[in-house]
Amino acid sequence: MFPNELARQHRAKVRMAIAFPIVGVAVLGALFFVQDFPRPLWLWTLFAAAFVFLEWKAVEVNDKLFASPGVMVIMTAAVVFGPESAVLGCAAMAALSPFQPEDIRGRRWFQPAVNFGQLIVTASLSIGVVSLILSLTDAASIPWIAVASAIGAVTYGIVNYRLVAFIVSRVYGHKDVAPWSHVTQIVVPFVGMGFLGGLLGATYLLLGTAAIPLIAIVFFTGYLAFESYARLRQAQLSTLAGFIKALEAKDLYTRGHTERVAYFSNMIGEEMGFNGNRLETVRWSALIHDVGKLAVPRDLIRKKTRLTKEEYEEMQGHVHHVEDLLNEVEFLRPMVEIASNHHAHFDGGGYHGTNGNRGEPPSLEARILAVADSFDAMTSTRSYRVALTQDYSFKELRRYGGTQFDPEVVEAFIAALTAAGEQYGSPVEITEQEARRRAEAGLGQEHALDAMRTRRRADEGTEAAHG
Amino acid sequence: MAESRIKALTIAAWIALLLSGVVFVAVGLISPAAEAVPWLLDVILWSFVITGTAFITVPAPSGSRLSLGIGAAVAASVLLHDPIALGASVTIALVASWLIQTRINVGARRSDGDYLADALAMVLYALVYSYAFELIDMSADLTPTWTVLGAVAIAGFAWFSLRAVVAAFVGLERSDLAGRYLWLLALQDWAVVLSMLAAGALFGLAWEVMGLWAVAVAILPYAFAHTAFERYSSTRVTYGQTIKALAQIPEVAGLAPRGHSTRTSDVAVAIAQEMGLSPSAVTELEYAALMHDVGRITLNEPAILRAGFTDEDIARWGAQIIAEAPYLQTVSELVRLQHRPYRSPGVEFDPEIPMTSKIIKVASAYDQAQIEQRLSPVESLERIHQGSAYEFDPRVAASLRRVLVFRGVIAH
Repeated sequence: MFPNELARQHRAKVRMAIAFPIVGVAVLGALFFVQDFPRPLWLWTLFAAAFVFLEWKAVEVNDKLFASPGVMVIMTAAVVFGPESAVLGCAAMAALSPFQPEDIRGRRWFQPAVNFGQLIVTASLSIGVVSLILSLTDAASIPWIAVASAIGAVTYGIVNYRLVAFIVSRVYGHKDVAPWSHVTQIVVPFVGMGFLGGLLGATYLLLGTAAIPLIAIVFFTGYLAFESYARLRQAQLSTLAGFIKALEAKDLYTRGHTERVAYFSNMIGEEMGFNGNRLETVRWSALIHDVGKLAVPRDLIRKKTRLTKEEYEEMQGHVHHVEDLLNEVEFLRPMVEIASNHHAHFDGGGYHGTNGNRGEPPSLEARILAVADSFDAMTSTRSYRVALTQDYSFKELRRYGGTQFDPEVVEAFIAALTAAGEQYGSPVEITEQEARRRAEAGLGQEHALDAMRTRRRADEGTEAAHG
Repeated sequence: MAESRIKALTIAAWIALLLSGVVFVAVGLISPAAEAVPWLLDVILWSFVITGTAFITVPAPSGSRLSLGIGAAVAASVLLHDPIALGASVTIALVASWLIQTRINVGARRSDGDYLADALAMVLYALVYSYAFELIDMSADLTPTWTVLGAVAIAGFAWFSLRAVVAAFVGLERSDLAGRYLWLLALQDWAVVLSMLAAGALFGLAWEVMGLWAVAVAILPYAFAHTAFERYSSTRVTYGQTIKALAQIPEVAGLAPRGHSTRTSDVAVAIAQEMGLSPSAVTELEYAALMHDVGRITLNEPAILRAGFTDEDIARWGAQIIAEAPYLQTVSELVRLQHRPYRSPGVEFDPEIPMTSKIIKVASAYDQAQIEQRLSPVESLERIHQGSAYEFDPRVAASLRRVLVFRGVIAH
């Protein structure tokens, strides 16, 4: 990342952090004149507390799809407050939510400031839509309430998404804006949450205060269950990843290999339009693709000469044992299958694992894993050869495209890595013969450290871009 | 399993159900206040609804499956306004679903103990609800909705407590399970119970004011919670399997004896349950026992083998590996401590060492004595007793003896 680019980003951030709060305060001030504050005050406080709590604890369902039940609470509140005070009441609720304890403790100013304005605008617009529909139709009819809040929730989702995309594109440039295809993922849950939120509001209007504890209990037990499910799922991922990372860390040559392969595979998957579960499967397969090697004695892995037949069989035996172990975990089975096929070639050659057939190309997921694995192998220092350059590795991937690798996957990977502007491998030009000679001369360790430094610089660059 | 107690409970429940069914239906039919035909229709309708929903079950954190029938019974209690009709519907539904379950083998996933616990507790719910409603109605000046809520809360609490007591009673037949453990296990289900009660009450109340929309208002959020409970329980199973698989990598690599981690965890969990540890502690202990030797994977490195290592090193390396997973911090700490003696000379009690890590130490040593020194179970247990001055906590050793006696591995 160039310093002048960072300075430009900083200026853009400051502009946004000033403009958005001003707009937010202006909208809130204007609303105070045209609307009443919701009564009774404790009811508003209750809704505001629920909304703020849920916004703080958005649960990650899988990958990019966030379930933020906050929108449901805000729709219930809109119906409960009634048309005279809904917009003001909900905008005031939204204004509170950006001040998250973690941001305040970390003295981060940009996100809270921008979100403050952004959420006020989002809430006012979407609740305005709800009030408008209800004033044009029958505000006491249950179906209209449900429909109006469903439309309001979708408005909320889309306005929120567009505003965030606008901010991100202004600050970080256009490449980080997620494609519109993600919007369909937003719309469906928002329709459901808005619909239900409206109905719960109608229940309150018909039943009175006694409905509040019931709604709260049904809602929060569901939320708690979902949260503990999501946490457990996360725990499972981090346990597996952490384990593999810790086990690898004992070895300078393979340190971080799995993590990088998972990162590259994820990158290729995204570039090829994977999302949700499929992307997650690719990532998990990458995480376990080398787990079998953990059971192989180190001196066998580090051998500089070719393995004898017995040694090779011993190694495969260990790898198969571990695969069998992981196959006992039902949900890991598809991932183990992909992982075991990552040495299979696109043209049907190479080593085929579980359910792989010689002469047939392996699954797309296994082909992705093969490219990611080979690229990392080439750009890292191994016992038999020091790291090669990124350009050389690209050339090699292309050269074996169609035989060993799937050419589409290779091109997707090169495009994604180039767009991300990341650099791996040896920082200086080196030929393959030279790389092998240096490893033999015992310069491997030093070179491995060199390559690690390049990677660290690359990591710092990406962190700066996302921080 | 707890055969004789389940049998005793079965007879008791049958008698209670039949008696209450006869009384309720008889009273309802001869009571002049109720018009017999609509009353009977109500009872038949709700019997059907409760019977049907009784077969929808949700896995609760304790491992037992709870039936949605209680949710339907709560809705019935709110909508019927008639204790006799409620009692009759619940009784008929319980008899019907019981007959269906035992004769036609539908919904056989639930154990008899689960089923009985639900049945008895549901009858109790119907009784308590009716009395609580009358009591609140007479003594306090509340809106009807709040009165209903209060009665549901009191009756729901009674239902939950009785269910936990019955579950503990049935489980206690196994002398190797402590009452405290069983009781805490049943209490873990509070969230599932609460969401069923609230969904049932919300459905009943909403039905009266908004008709069919009540289905969306009460059932949609419950369905969401239900899916979440299902997913949680299946993820918990796969999480355990994942840990088990990872823990066996050193064994597959030939760096630790085959099956040691599984056997250690099996014995350790049995001891912990016998000693009445809390269910969450038992889960942590299970994971820690499975992974207590995972540090041995480091022995893969020839340089380390040459340099030599101690048991403490293995424990420390294992703890470091496990600590990489943020969710497993306590487990990592247990693994780090599990090789330590339970006290040192001159110290009566070492507060730093938790009971769970002492249990792992005993369970692991018991298995090692059999595998490495080829001792019999009695000799291995004797080793543990001999070492209980400093190495092994005598309370854990005593518990191990009781577990082995219960399992029939050793005589008294």
